[in-house]
Amino acid sequence: MRMNDEPVAAMPAATTPATPQAAAAAAVPFVPSKVSIDRTVRLPSMTFCLARHVPSGRVFCGGADFGLHSFDPAAEKPETRPLSEVRHSSYVTGVVNAAGTLISGGYDRSLIWWNAETGEQLRKVEGAHDRWIRSLAVSPDGLRLATVADDMRTKIWDTQSGACLLTLDGYDLQTPHGFPSMLYAVCFSADGRRLATGNKTGKVLIRDVATGEIQQTIETPVMYTWDPKARRHSIGGIRSLAFSGDGSLLAVGGMGQVGNIDHLEGKSRIEVFRLPTGERVHEIEDSKYKGLVEKLQFSGDQKWLLAAGGDNGGFLSAWSLETGKLLAQEKLGNHLHAFEMLSDRTLVTVGHDQASHVTLSAG
Amino acid sequence: MSGKRLIPVQCGLSDVAGVSRRGFLGGTAVGVGGALAADMRAVNGLRAEEIAGELRRGEKHVILLWLAGGASQLETWDPKPGVKTGGPFAAIPTNVAGIQVSELLPKLAQRMHLTAVIRSLNTKIADHGRGADLVERGRLDDPGLRYPDLGAVVAKELGRLESTVPDYVSLYTSTEGRRKGTSGFLGARYAPLFLAENMAPPNTGLHERLTAAEHQDRAALRDLLSKRFTAEHRGSTVGSLNSAYQRVQGMMASAGLFNIEQEPAEVRARYGPTQFGEQCLIARRLVEAGVPFVKVARAWWDSHGQNFETHLELCADLDHCMSVLLDDLQERGLLEKTLVITLGEFGRTPGINASLGRDHFASAWSCSLSGLGIRGGVVHGATDAEGHTVVDGEASAGDLFATILQAVGIDHTHEYMVGSRPTPLADFGSKPIRSVLV
Repeated sequence: MRMNDEPVAAMPAATTPATPQAAAAAAVPFVPSKVSIDRTVRLPSMTFCLARHVPSGRVFCGGADFGLHSFDPAAEKPETRPLSEVRHSSYVTGVVNAAGTLISGGYDRSLIWWNAETGEQLRKVEGAHDRWIRSLAVSPDGLRLATVADDMRTKIWDTQSGACLLTLDGYDLQTPHGFPSMLYAVCFSADGRRLATGNKTGKVLIRDVATGEIQQTIETPVMYTWDPKARRHSIGGIRSLAFSGDGSLLAVGGMGQVGNIDHLEGKSRIEVFRLPTGERVHEIEDSKYKGLVEKLQFSGDQKWLLAAGGDNGGFLSAWSLETGKLLAQEKLGNHLHAFEMLSDRTLVTVGHDQASHVTLSAG
Repeated sequence: MSGKRLIPVQCGLSDVAGVSRRGFLGGTAVGVGGALAADMRAVNGLRAEEIAGELRRGEKHVILLWLAGGASQLETWDPKPGVKTGGPFAAIPTNVAGIQVSELLPKLAQRMHLTAVIRSLNTKIADHGRGADLVERGRLDDPGLRYPDLGAVVAKELGRLESTVPDYVSLYTSTEGRRKGTSGFLGARYAPLFLAENMAPPNTGLHERLTAAEHQDRAALRDLLSKRFTAEHRGSTVGSLNSAYQRVQGMMASAGLFNIEQEPAEVRARYGPTQFGEQCLIARRLVEAGVPFVKVARAWWDSHGQNFETHLELCADLDHCMSVLLDDLQERGLLEKTLVITLGEFGRTPGINASLGRDHFASAWSCSLSGLGIRGGVVHGATDAEGHTVVDGEASAGDLFATILQAVGIDHTHEYMVGSRPTPLADFGSKPIRSVLV
């Protein structure tokens, strides 16, 4: 479970240097070599998604208590508070900030628009999908919302009116082996013109946002962890997607083949494709920190890629896009479901039951 | 049935009132009625209840849907929506007022009138091996005494001695938690026909140079010679050898039961494309042919990671296949003769771990019983609001074992004599759960 929040495609550009020394340092491309946890905050429940709300400086997150909560990630001792007494009726799996308005979605198949300041429920769309809503993404201009669900449909919504503009098929309801399939991941390109979605069997569709037309199909079959002999069951699938800032690369995250399906024992896996050729330029598997890659984001200069996820424990890893090698990595509490960049070097992560303020630094 | 059953180690056959069941029943399973008429002298030597018991043999069946690894009671029979431990799934009403199950079982919910749910199992052992031992046998082995599992007991009690079909078939193609099953002190005669690699027994076809007619002729010749030999050399060894030959021939003749290609396409389509569906269809074919006990193991319920994804996938399979199985059995008049059980070695923790998994949990979990001997539309027992403990109607593995035996008409208090040791069919002190029995 994950979310893609604004800005979708790339981390923010570096802030303006305050001193000549800082300016000199800023001229050198930032390549992280260390991940540091600055502080953590206990969350009210298992948490699957978050959205940064710039006007208030707060981060809003949703999870297993069916509600949204917020905290100030810059505070020394962050305190969480509920957004509203009103809640979804099942797990909240996605929340985005659409030009100042929060929109959440969840396993109750509904979408809710919220006033982030007051907690007022502005709009609710019941039955937005026929089955579990897995993920939400908002276009960089905040005008379009994309949702994916286990009805295997992608929907594009007008964030201002709440109207559903497009309902897009393209995935089978069942896996090739006759089991329910799942549509986990969605993200917009930085220019807001393209949308990528990924399902349980490792199929990526890239579409034109305006028309819904499929522009490209990419297959990542290793992400589908079915094995007819050893494991008639699969819990992998594509769990995260990200376009690079210029739209020339697409990163796909999930898990590699697993020996023991009872746990998330597969190597965490990332595949990076060049667009529009579809050439796979990187195939990254990490055996040190295993499990699902739940969130991906390219650096602003497209030199490296940040990935979060985990099995029982969480990880945050930075991978070089030039070499495919690991740049920095840290075990980070429990399984991470999402993160949001606060600056080019700081971020907030949410996991099983805690959030962390994290700093990336060069060695 | 008599109160005590001797377990002669040499062949595992018991005699009743001085007349062997072999002599009573005659040559073939289908010939019970004929044998009865043909040997009135033998019948007169039996008590009426024993005659009734013999006639019941071959008419009752058990299909155990073994959910290997341990399915979550919270995502199946004992949903707790809206509480911290409840997970994301809703509870849905069933066709029995007042009973709800997880939304992952919508088809079974509409067949609740056929099913009794026990929500109060406390079997205490939460490791796979010993947990499965306990649940499958109703007790743990004693030093020096290995108990038979449910399949073996049912095979012995409900199988026909001269049956041409196997008494106990275990379909366990899943690699996780694969267990062969044990006939314990009942001996190899009641061990399962264990199918782990393929869905049909191996080496049951005729030799390529042999026609069916030649095979039949050879069997007839062997039978003739055997009868001549037996007339002059009586003894249990000879009888045992003949029995073995008959069973091999029966196995060869029944190999087609495992071939679902013999079913109409619409029936196969109804069960669906999954292996579990195919095996449920085989189970129906087997009980239809007279097999007393069939176990179908469906694994990978051991959802330490991604419990909800796991149950989304596997419950869909269970819900569809079991619903079709119940319908098919009912339409063929077999459900009133067949007990269908869903059971695993334990349930899963109410607490949800960081991998969104649930771990092993044997303190408050559920199973279901449908069909033969079962009062449908009943829930026995209850757990607390978050599912941590049993608060009503606690049932042990022995109680469940006794309940299953009673449902199929086997008195769980009857004893086998293992050597000089009286050993009840169900563990000492076990009590059937009367509320789920008709």
